[in-house]
Amino acid sequence: MSTLDDPIQQGLQRGWHVLGGAHGAVPPTLLCDVAIIGSGAGAGITAELLTKAGLKVVIIEEGPLKSSRDFRQRESDAYPGLYQESAARKTADKAINILQGRCVGGSTTVNWTSSFRTPADTLAHWHSEFGLAEMTPAAMTPWFEQAERRLNIGPWLAAPNQNNELLRTGAAKLGIPASAIQRNVKGCWNLGSCGMGCPTNAKQSMLVTTLPAALDGGATLLVQMRAERLESREGLVQALHCVPVADNSAATGAPGVRITAKHYVVAGGAINSPALLLRSGAPDPHGLVGKRTFLHPVVISAATFADPVNGWDGAPQTLYTDHFLQTQPLTGPIGYKLEAPPLHPVIFASTLAGHGRAQAQMLAEFPRTHSLLALMRDGFHAQSTGGSVALRGDGSPVLDYPLNDFVMDGARRAFLSMAEIQFAAGARSVVPVHELATPTTSWAEARLLIEALPMKPLLTRVVSAHVMGGCPMAATEAQGVVRPDGTHWQLANLSVHDGSLFPTSIGANPQLSVYGLTAMLATRLAKRLTGRDVLLA
Amino acid sequence: MQRRKLLQIGAAASLTLIAVGASVVLMRSAAPAAELNADSRALFTAVAQAVLDGALPSGATRAAALGAHVERVQQTIRGFAPEVQKELAQLLGILCTAPGRRLLAGLATPWEAATVDEVQQSLQAMRTSRLATRQQVYHALRDITNGAYFSDPTAWAAIGYPGPREL
Repeated sequence: MSTLDDPIQQGLQRGWHVLGGAHGAVPPTLLCDVAIIGSGAGAGITAELLTKAGLKVVIIEEGPLKSSRDFRQRESDAYPGLYQESAARKTADKAINILQGRCVGGSTTVNWTSSFRTPADTLAHWHSEFGLAEMTPAAMTPWFEQAERRLNIGPWLAAPNQNNELLRTGAAKLGIPASAIQRNVKGCWNLGSCGMGCPTNAKQSMLVTTLPAALDGGATLLVQMRAERLESREGLVQALHCVPVADNSAATGAPGVRITAKHYVVAGGAINSPALLLRSGAPDPHGLVGKRTFLHPVVISAATFADPVNGWDGAPQTLYTDHFLQTQPLTGPIGYKLEAPPLHPVIFASTLAGHGRAQAQMLAEFPRTHSLLALMRDGFHAQSTGGSVALRGDGSPVLDYPLNDFVMDGARRAFLSMAEIQFAAGARSVVPVHELATPTTSWAEARLLIEALPMKPLLTRVVSAHVMGGCPMAATEAQGVVRPDGTHWQLANLSVHDGSLFPTSIGANPQLSVYGLTAMLATRLAKRLTGRDVLLA
Repeated sequence: MQRRKLLQIGAAASLTLIAVGASVVLMRSAAPAAELNADSRALFTAVAQAVLDGALPSGATRAAALGAHVERVQQTIRGFAPEVQKELAQLLGILCTAPGRRLLAGLATPWEAATVDEVQQSLQAMRTSRLATRQQVYHALRDITNGAYFSDPTAWAAIGYPGPREL
């Protein structure tokens, strides 16, 4: 257990209103100004701004309230405790594993701190294709700046760890530029444990920033409580029904709560937000809810080096290259961003392919293993329509995301790019993470192998940590679930404030895109509901 | 000609699989896999010895390491959402019947009697199968096994992971 200060424990001692789980039973009914579903990036920003405007806010989170004293840097705690479906959430055909947070702070509690403003070409595409007139760098810059100030987003001044440095080394040899990634940290210890919850509270996640501000301002937080259904009538949401859930999200059977509010903000993340609208039978005249869900599908290349890489050690993802996003048009063949992810034993052993002696040999190289990932920018081409969210028998969501030839062509090119960079950086061997691949010892050999591998789902290992879309905003009802101001096209007192708003993927790690966009939407919602001007930072 | 024959066999096999699956599912209650029964524990023990071949300790500590591993598998499954547990319970139910094991895993010998080599061949056949269902079974068994085993500090020395830095 960490002996550092724990701002959450301190807040609870100050008398924060937290109910659910071990914090006490919920009353049968609750009345508030705004009910916010979720507690991740969009929910946190919204909660702080609305509370500042003097609104009575209730935040509803399905996961538990964990804090630095619980963050022991162990995957065995983190995955079941902090992630959706124990970090094993899968697409319908089980071909993609999805990492998504399920705890107070949502994915911001467990992300790797990579902070990028929404790329200008993505905004331009939204402007031209979805009529989102305000989606320009000039109009969005002030909102990104506010989020950056509030969450201490800035350059990372320490030296990149070896895992990242090798990306730069290999890219430079090939004349490919790599740049530094900004991070949302304050006093970071450079541990590399971000994905298991920050044990030193350096990561400026929602857990230690906006949510404490909202709770200090009088907001109520319900934890281990699932937003089950919105009750609506005549174009207005009338109430939200929630049920207590256990550690694995099973309903406990204990009585739930009916929350009535003037306004409702859905911010449970793409997959869960559209699922709530589907469970609620919310109006969806154009059949858009849960459709066009994007993942930045990721493929991975693993290399071994003569010297230690220690991929677990030090800040994750501090360098990147967008070279392969720019080698073809935005709406052409799928492009990809390259980054160097952190490695820990479970994620390493379950992400690499193979079993038995071959696996044991590969895992024994763990300290000398370097990995690169390519996140593919989906949603910009007619053949990249993403996935769709459906409900299982018990109402829980499942995402069907077909890995079609268009996407898998990108996977092949990405494997080639990564292997070439790794060999240029001096790798002794490189293996694309694919069930039929064996380690190669030269770029020429790798190229032959990768060109011949069948790029099929379940043979090619594909993962995702960025879920986007499913409740898109658009200037017309035919194209969007919500309006450009985030309110639902058919339900006037309902807004969506999370990554499900995005009409396409972002083409970069999405947290700052969620912060900036929801800062804009929530500031205006506060003004509309109270007449007051509030500022995030 | 040969390819056509293969496809026919594939189609026949998948139909049989569906039939076996359906009959087993009908026989079982659809309750989540809260507890692994003896058959499922034998299956996960056999799979562990195959997947973790070269990683598991040999000699006197092997049995204890396997026992602790199966406990962690149980713990991992308890963390899964109800629908996922239910799906897994159905799969384990099928794999623990002789016809299910033969058709889905391609394994003639019962799990508790199969050699490491036999289970590895079965896993490899599922891994490279043309049938998505068999590939999915491979990934499920292999990922649960690796996740449960490498989450434990006793597994770290062998892969050179020093553990988290003390604060």
